[in-house]
Amino acid sequence: MTPFELVEPASLGEALALLDPDDPAVRPIGGGTALMLMMKAGFFEPRRLVSLRGLGPGITGINEGADGALDIGAMVRLGQLERSPVIRRAAPVIAETLVTHSNVRVRNVATIGGNLAHGDPHMDLPPVLIALGAEVVAASPSGERRIAVENLVESYLETALGGDELITSLHIPSQRNRRAAYIKVTARSADDWPALGVAVSLAVENRAIRAPRIAIGAATETAMRLPKAEAALTGGASWRDTGREAAAEAPVIGDHHGSAAYKRVLVGVTVERALRRALAGVEIAG
Amino acid sequence: MQKTVSLTVNGKPATATVEGRTLLVQLLRETLGLTGTHVGCDTSQCGACVVHVDGEAVKSCTLLAVQAEGRDVKTIEGVANGDDLHPMQEAFRDNHALQCGFCTPGMIMSALDLVKNNPDPSEREIREYLEGNLCRCTGYHNIVLAIKAGAEAMRGSKAAAE
Repeated sequence: MTPFELVEPASLGEALALLDPDDPAVRPIGGGTALMLMMKAGFFEPRRLVSLRGLGPGITGINEGADGALDIGAMVRLGQLERSPVIRRAAPVIAETLVTHSNVRVRNVATIGGNLAHGDPHMDLPPVLIALGAEVVAASPSGERRIAVENLVESYLETALGGDELITSLHIPSQRNRRAAYIKVTARSADDWPALGVAVSLAVENRAIRAPRIAIGAATETAMRLPKAEAALTGGASWRDTGREAAAEAPVIGDHHGSAAYKRVLVGVTVERALRRALAGVEIAG
Repeated sequence: MQKTVSLTVNGKPATATVEGRTLLVQLLRETLGLTGTHVGCDTSQCGACVVHVDGEAVKSCTLLAVQAEGRDVKTIEGVANGDDLHPMQEAFRDNHALQCGFCTPGMIMSALDLVKNNPDPSEREIREYLEGNLCRCTGYHNIVLAIKAGAEAMRGSKAAAE
């Protein structure tokens, strides 16, 4: 790795002042698990890294509101999320997803904020968080704003975050009365990066599906919702037809995990399976 | 840019001057001379560099030394009690769980992390937990047997101590 300056500010204000909106070689660092690989490969040569390690409890907690909504500090490590009794109860799909995300030693270091800011489309959490309706809270010198996770990543490794803006927390609305499932498809070996990830979240009222959210990752340029498939499901389409709608709608692209044609077939089958898993044991009318 | 890092390594305080880009594994091996922690892939795939930081297994080739400031690091050198091998080390020897031995320090540090949270892991749990620790010799079978035996021995010695 090329030499760089590593600074460890003690407050958010200090951290924001150390970022430079005009210099892409100045970046915040959380756990650094992804950044370090890019730096070792010579893909990223930072001038300055701003470590968020010293920012304190505001950025490291997992809090559940009275209504069941979750606020998760950006520096919460993936392993903490996976083992958190609060997460396991309030949003179990997150803990289930993390079990096959990378491996234990990496999850013990990688942070949720870093994972989202990295903007890699081959990640498991973005489709899950999109399906749960999550938002990130981002801070910059001009203030704070909320960005829906589905709008956070704009293209491959490119996010909506400004050069002097960083994610401080993740907000997940209450999942009470909602069910969710995530299915990861790996094409080469069980521990491979996903060729496709499908997350679904929905409510069931009076034996009818309400407010479904269907999101996919790893097969499109960014993780995204599939609104036509959601509308089809709300309108009473079968799980299989919902999958067909999803496959027709998704702007699938091929990569070394599979061709676009292959992944399109996967989308249809996997959306159907994800719905079946989320609705296991639930009776639906019609 | 030079920085001073102070941390605890295997129960003893250590202070070193490092660059921002110095990896924890470089600090351990090159500055402190603790060469039991290995570097295999250098890209977070293989697990030869696993150490414990504040009691959790991490890959020391992907952690900056500065990120370990003020923290408690344990390496394979801190596992045995003098000349007496730790029960997990004994189990690796008794079960022929190593051939070339390159992956063994990382395997043992990962195994100890698993057993700390799960004192009686099933074979499946062991295999799942070892994702990210690669061995090119054994085919893993004897490593899994060793971790099961090591966990059992650790439960036994804990029961004897109580």
